[in-house]
Amino acid sequence: SSGINAEYGGPHECANRTARNHERAIISCSYNFASFGAAVRKKKMTADKKTTEVGVMIQNTFEAAVMLEKFPKSQIDIYVQVLQGDGGERCVAINATTLALINAGIPLKDYVCACAATVFQDSVLLDINNLEESYRGPLFMLAVMPQTESIVQLQLDHRLHNDHLDKVVRETIQGCRDIKVLLDRQVKEWTVEAAAAYEIKPRV
Amino acid sequence: MATRLSINEIRYIIDGVEQDFRTDGRAAEDYRHVELESRVLPNTNGSARCKLGKTEVLVGIKAEVVDVDVHAPHIGKLVITADCSAVASPKFVGKGSEALENDLTNILSFIYHSTETLPLKELCILPGKSCWQLNVDVLFVQCGGNLFDVASIALKAALHNTTLPKVRVSGEGIEMEMEVADDPYHVWKLDVSNWPICITLYQIGCSFAVDPSEEEVACSEGYVHVGVLPSGDVSSMEKSGAGNIDPTVLLEMVEVGVRVGEDIHNQLDKQLEAEKSLAKL
Repeated sequence: SSGINAEYGGPHECANRTARNHERAIISCSYNFASFGAAVRKKKMTADKKTTEVGVMIQNTFEAAVMLEKFPKSQIDIYVQVLQGDGGERCVAINATTLALINAGIPLKDYVCACAATVFQDSVLLDINNLEESYRGPLFMLAVMPQTESIVQLQLDHRLHNDHLDKVVRETIQGCRDIKVLLDRQVKEWTVEAAAAYEIKPRV
Repeated sequence: MATRLSINEIRYIIDGVEQDFRTDGRAAEDYRHVELESRVLPNTNGSARCKLGKTEVLVGIKAEVVDVDVHAPHIGKLVITADCSAVASPKFVGKGSEALENDLTNILSFIYHSTETLPLKELCILPGKSCWQLNVDVLFVQCGGNLFDVASIALKAALHNTTLPKVRVSGEGIEMEMEVADDPYHVWKLDVSNWPICITLYQIGCSFAVDPSEEEVACSEGYVHVGVLPSGDVSSMEKSGAGNIDPTVLLEMVEVGVRVGEDIHNQLDKQLEAEKSLAKL
């Protein structure tokens, strides 16, 4: 089971003036593994190519989902740290970031739910763990905005036969819809808790 | 992490500590509520999460078989690394946390480097050849004052539930071979009854206190780390921070440190014993 901490910072003034955009906010994302996070211990988590790439991927995903026009000339920081990696860390990172942004009150166009899948002996397996990933079958990751079912992010590693493509996409989107139900439940719990402090009972 | 306080707030905090009644109502020797959770990371050999006030620490221990140190061929190794997560503060992204991490790593390594007090002999597999190396990674998820004490409590709890696979040694002389057990239930645990805890005493005004909040740390000048064993003995001591400490005050500090340390050891050991009855391993 994978565990991830996601925290957001901002919106605050852009640290890098050259990167500043007059019409919308920019997102900066930092993604790394804790030393004990990977199956084989990594001594010091310096930014290597893989983690930078995942950081950029998360950044691109949320640039599509966050209403950036509301915060011109600002910067939103996202920090993701993997405490335990057991497969599907990128998906967990995206789901955790969605919850962090909602918790922070950043306006989003829709939830962003991510799910990973593989194909094994003609059947689609959703939410694969480390062991299943190491099998070297096709690794298909999808990040979706569930209401419009528009795909925000798609990544495929290794080889996938064209015949399986349709099936995999359909089942992964269903997986993302299932995740949305769970995220939604958590958000409603928070809302009820927060409203209770003001003695309001929200309609959820 | 640097808090901005007005002169009056600083005066108020210092006066509180000197009169043994701090801003949150505690006496100088009182700790805040400690929350401890063990075995939080299944893919490590041992782990614990400790929360004290606003400070939250996650300790993960991973063991590997390495060659022995030439200067100490009959004992195992313990390598402690401290890490400040970017999640704790935006200042810790990239290289921002290096200075603090080095400080934390050095102090924690110092508390736990005494070969007489720590049963590192248990970690030796083949004397002169191979031993276990415990890689202890301390991750600070949130920093809210009193980082060293929380880290050492979490460390002791993590070591308590660390399981190492049994190793079968066969052959003689140069032909000695070792076989690490594959079975996840064929394990043994370390004896943590004699591992120290770090108690840090901060000098605030003319008096001193344990477990300060961030604001109290900002008002302090100088602090002393005391490594306290469950028996009440002191295994190590170090003074840090800028500021002078009077020798008589230092003796008092160590006395209080030992008293508080013994108390924490008792409470911690009770909880760890209770946890043993819950776990199957």
